[in-house]
Amino acid sequence: MASPVLLPLLLALLAAPAVLLAGTFGVRSAAPTGAAFAALAFGATLWGWMSGGGAVDLAWAPSWDLRLHLELDGLATLYALLATGIGFAVLAYSSRYLPLHLEHQGRPASDGVGFYFFILLFMGSMVGLAMAQDLILLFVFWDLTAIASYYLIGFDRQDAESRASALMALLVTGVTAVLLLIGALLLYAAHGTFSVPELAERVGPGPLLTTAGGLIAVAGLAKSAQVPLHFWLPRAMAAPTPVSAYLHSAAMVAAGVLLLGRVYPLLQKSEVLLDSLLIVGLLSMAVGGILALTRDVLKQLLAYSTISQYGYVVVMYGLGGEYGAVGASFYVLAHALCKSALFLTAGAVTEATGEDRLSGVGGLRRPMPLLAAGSGAAAAGLAALPLTVGFFKDELFFAAALERGPVFAGLAVLGAALTFAYAWRFWGGIFTGDQVSEAKRMPGPLVWPVVALGGLALFGGIFVGPYLGLALAAGSDSLGAPASVSAAYHLDARPENLMALGTYALGGLIVVARPLWVGMALALSRFGERVGPERLYGLTLRGLNALSDVVHRAEARDLRSRVAAILLPGGVLIGIGILVTPTAGTYRVGEVRLQDVPLLLALVPLAVAALTTTITKRHVTLALVLSSAGFMLALVYAFFGAPDVALVAVLVETVLTLLFLGTLRLIPYRVLHRQAELPTEKRLRKVFFATVAGASTFAVVWATLSRPAVENSVAKEHLRLTPDAHAKDTVTAILADFRGLDTMGEISVVALVLLAVVTLLRGGRLR
Amino acid sequence: MTSVMTRTVARLLLLPTLVTALAILVKGYTQPGDGFSAGVVAALGVLLQLMVFGREEAEKIPGVRQAGTLAFVGLLAALVLAVVPLLLGDPLLTHYPSPGSGVLHFGTLEFVTAVLFDCAVFLLVFGFVVGTVGAISRAIEAADREEDPS
Repeated sequence: MASPVLLPLLLALLAAPAVLLAGTFGVRSAAPTGAAFAALAFGATLWGWMSGGGAVDLAWAPSWDLRLHLELDGLATLYALLATGIGFAVLAYSSRYLPLHLEHQGRPASDGVGFYFFILLFMGSMVGLAMAQDLILLFVFWDLTAIASYYLIGFDRQDAESRASALMALLVTGVTAVLLLIGALLLYAAHGTFSVPELAERVGPGPLLTTAGGLIAVAGLAKSAQVPLHFWLPRAMAAPTPVSAYLHSAAMVAAGVLLLGRVYPLLQKSEVLLDSLLIVGLLSMAVGGILALTRDVLKQLLAYSTISQYGYVVVMYGLGGEYGAVGASFYVLAHALCKSALFLTAGAVTEATGEDRLSGVGGLRRPMPLLAAGSGAAAAGLAALPLTVGFFKDELFFAAALERGPVFAGLAVLGAALTFAYAWRFWGGIFTGDQVSEAKRMPGPLVWPVVALGGLALFGGIFVGPYLGLALAAGSDSLGAPASVSAAYHLDARPENLMALGTYALGGLIVVARPLWVGMALALSRFGERVGPERLYGLTLRGLNALSDVVHRAEARDLRSRVAAILLPGGVLIGIGILVTPTAGTYRVGEVRLQDVPLLLALVPLAVAALTTTITKRHVTLALVLSSAGFMLALVYAFFGAPDVALVAVLVETVLTLLFLGTLRLIPYRVLHRQAELPTEKRLRKVFFATVAGASTFAVVWATLSRPAVENSVAKEHLRLTPDAHAKDTVTAILADFRGLDTMGEISVVALVLLAVVTLLRGGRLR
Repeated sequence: MTSVMTRTVARLLLLPTLVTALAILVKGYTQPGDGFSAGVVAALGVLLQLMVFGREEAEKIPGVRQAGTLAFVGLLAALVLAVVPLLLGDPLLTHYPSPGSGVLHFGTLEFVTAVLFDCAVFLLVFGFVVGTVGAISRAIEAADREEDPS
C-alpha cells in the first residue's frame, strides 16, 4: 500500500472533524488540535516527498472513468507544504487573534470552533487539490475550497457586507468552476480520459484544446483574482485577518495558479492560450499595482498587491519555457511566505492600535521592534531585495522575460518597480516616521508567526537550495520535462542584475514622486469603480434577482399556480411533440379478449374515483377518494400480473392515506371547513389546465402502450442476469443489485425527507 | 374511544404482522417482496397499535421510540455496504458472493450481501414511516394541549 502518499491528505482531511471533536470538549483545545494536525500533515508531506513521492490510482466508478488518482509530485508537494505550513502559522496566530476578534464583536468564544473547522477544511481540500491528477477529482476539491472560503469570508455573519462579500467570492469562483467542469467534459468526450497526465499525452494542438484549455484557464484565473474577475478579492477582506492571510498566500488564490500549473502540460501546447495568459497577467500586474498604491486601508493595499503578484505568476506561465514554469512555482512559494507575514502584520497592527488605515498609523518600529523586523524581512522579500528569497523570484522572472525580448523585459522591470513601491508604502507607512497612535503590547502568538515567516524569507535569501529544489520539481511537473534552472548571486553586470538595479531605482522614484502621479492613479481607481466589472456583477445579480421574483410570482404564488406551472408547459410541450412526430401506427386500439374483462372492471371504478376528485369539496373525503383510486390502480397491477408492483402500490397507498389524514388533522377543523365552503374561483381556467395536462398524459400513455415490445430489451437482460445475482425474484434483484446505486440515491432522499418533516413539525428544532 | 373488539384485534394482529414483514424481508430474493414492502408492513403493524392504544402505549414496542434513528442506521448500513467493495478493489456496491459461486442456503433464505442491503432499506423505510407518523401525532398532541391546557 502506498501509505506515505495518502498520509498527508488523510491527516489534512481529518483535521477539520478532529477540531470539531476537540471543540466539544473545550473551545480552548480546538486551535492547538488544529495546529497539531497541520504540523503533522506538513511533516507527512515532507516525509512522503523525501521518500520519493508516489501515486495512488483507485478506480471508484470505472464505468464512468472516475478515478481517485492522487500523486505526491513536485507541484503537489509545493502547494501541500504551503497549505499545511502556512496553515500552521495562521492557526497559531488565530489562537490569540480570534478570541480578541470575537470579543470585539460580542460573540461567544465557542464560535471559534467553526472558524478553525473551515480553515482546516480549506487546508484539507487544498492538499487534495494539490495531489489530484484527475480533472473530476480536481473539480470536487476545487468546489470544496469555494465552500470553505464562503464560510470564512462571511465569518462575521452579523455584518451585511461580510455576507455580500462571501456570496460574491462564492459566485465568481463557483460559476467559473463550472467552466472547469465543461472543459474537463470536452476533453473527456474527445479523448476518453479525465487524467491530466494521460490527456497531456493524447491531446494535440487544435481548436478543441484551445476551447477546453481556455475554459479551465478562466476558472483558474478567476480563483487567482486576475483582471477582469479580480473584484471579489478586495471585497473578501471583510474576513478576519488570519483568513485573508491564508486565502492570499496558500489557499484560495494560490489554488488558481495551482490549477494553471497542473494543466500546464495542456495549456503550453496552444500559443493562443499562452498569449492570453500573458495579456491577463500583465493587465493584472498593472491594475493591481497601481490600485495598491492608492489604497489607504492596510488590508485593501495588500489585496490589490496580491492581484498584481499573481499577475506575475500568470505572466510567467504565459512566457513559458523553463524559466517561466520554474519561476512561477518559485514565485508562489516566495510570495506565500512574504504575503502571509504582511497580512498577519496588518492584523497585529490593527489589534495594537485600533487603526486599520495607513493614515492612522506610523512610527511603530519603536513600540513593536520585533514585528517591524519580521515584517521588514517579508516586505524586503516582496520588494525583491538581495539577501531575501524575493531576490531570486525576480531573478527568474527577469530571466523568463529576457528570453522573450526587450519589450517584456521593460514591462517586467516596470511591474517589479510597482511592487517595490507598494511594499515600501506598506512597511514604511506603518513602521517609519512619527508615531501617531498609541500601541498596546501584543501577546507572543500575534508576533512570532510573522517573525518566523520573515525568517524563512531571509533564510531563502542565503540558502536558496531547498526552495529552488521544490520549485524545480514543481516546474518540471508543469512542463512535463525535467527543468534545470539555477538561481544564485552573481557579482557582475549581467542583464538580470542590471534589471534588478533598475527596479530599485525606478521603485524609489515612484515612491518619491508620489505627488506627481497620485491624482491620476485615483482617477483610474474611480473610473474602475464606475464602469468596472464589479458594477457589471452587481447589475447581473440584481437583474437575476428581479427575474427570479417575476418567475416566483407567476409560478409559485400558491400551490395551485405551482401545479399549473408544471402541468401546462408540460402538456403544451408534449402536444408540440405529438404534432411534429409522425403518428402513423402509434395509436392502436388492440382487441379486447375475455381475460381482459377483470382488468376493465377494475379500470371503471378507477375512472370514477378519478372523476370524483374533481368535484369533491371536503378535504378528508378528497383524501379518501384519492386513496381509493390508488387501491384500484393496485388491483389493475395485480391483474396485469405484476405482484411486486401491486404489493408496493397497496402498501404505499395505505401509508399515504394515513399521512394525508394525519396532516389534515394538524389543521384546525374550522379552517378546513371554511376552506371547503369557499366557492371555486376561476373555474374555467382550472378546467383548461386540467384538460391540457390530462389529454397530453393520455396521449403519451396510449402511444407508449401501442408500441410493440422491443426485442433484446433491458428487461430481458435483467431476467437473464437474475440467476447470476443468486436471486429468483427479478424485481428485488433489480432494486438491490442491478440498479443498487439508484436505490441508494432514493433511500437517501427518503432519509432527508424524514429529517425535513421532523424538523418542520418541531418548529425548526431536531430535539 | 376504540371498542373492545378493535383493541383485541389490534393486539392479536401485531405479532403476525411483524412475522409477515420478516418473511417478506428474508424471502424477498426468491419471492415477491423486498425490504421496502417489509418495512411498510412492519410499520403498519406498529401504526395500528399507535392508533388504537395511543402513542405512549405504542412506544413501548422496542424500536418505535428510536424510529428516526433506525432510519439513519439503515442509511449508514447501506452506505457502508456500498463503499466496502471499493476497499476490496471492486466497483461501488458490488454484492458477494460473485456470480456463479456457491451460496449458503437456509431454507429459502440465501446468504448474499444483497439481502443485507435489503435489510438496510427495511430499517430506513420502517424508520421513515413510523418516524413521520410519530412526529405528526406528537405535533397533534402538542396542538391539543395548547387548545385545552387542562
